[in-house]
Amino acid sequence: MTTSGLKIAQGRSGAVCVVTLTGRIDNSNAKDVIAELDALIGSGEKNILLDLAGVLYLTSAAFRALLVATDQAERNEARLALCSVTGHVRDLFEMGGLLDSFTILGSRDEALARLS
Amino acid sequence: MLRSIELTVRNDLADLPAIHDAWERFGAEQQVPASVVVDLQVVLDEVASNIIKYAWPEGGSHNFMIRLAVCDGAVEVEVIDDGRPYDPREAPAPVQAAPGSRPPPGGRGIHLVRQLVDRFDYERTGAENRVRLTKRFA
Repeated sequence: MTTSGLKIAQGRSGAVCVVTLTGRIDNSNAKDVIAELDALIGSGEKNILLDLAGVLYLTSAAFRALLVATDQAERNEARLALCSVTGHVRDLFEMGGLLDSFTILGSRDEALARLS
Repeated sequence: MLRSIELTVRNDLADLPAIHDAWERFGAEQQVPASVVVDLQVVLDEVASNIIKYAWPEGGSHNFMIRLAVCDGAVEVEVIDDGRPYDPREAPAPVQAAPGSRPPPGGRGIHLVRQLVDRFDYERTGAENRVRLTKRFA
């Protein structure tokens, strides 16, 4: 865990670039999420999966980051999907009215099966 | 018995993690349920970041105060700043997406706060904005 409370790790499964977020995503570090996704999309990644299993909570700054990145992915003909959106994190997506605004694909395994 | 802590925060987003750490520690000490600690982390992030970003449009270095108190099965949060008058309860509801498209990125913070607390009060006293939030857990 970094001092900002958020760890961003990157891996690969076949054609899918998996970004694992661990910790809290808030107004102090959402810019790091935007920067990471911006760089990946800019480098030509076409299949990006964001795994939120380790996210303790997120705030509106995270939603803003994810909406901006999803728009950017679309402009670059890339796919950005989310997985492991459960429990309290899922409740927050629902409160934000955003469950239908993203591609949310169940567990990581289910998501990889769908994207591969 | 009322127990409380007071935090002085600069108008700098880099101060947000210190708020989160202080509340996590205090909430645990006071045996506030973990889910309530998390809900208020979201609330504190939204309210404090709004103040940091918008209370002093002229810029410069400013401080504001957050008081957190646990009493009788409830957490009381008071946030006091001397920025421009602003009642966050008047924040408009987020713009809904047109069918088949995504909503605009911003404007969801206060919408979340409304859903995460039981009371959301505001008053302007003298040159200060005072936001009071109550979250019950027992």
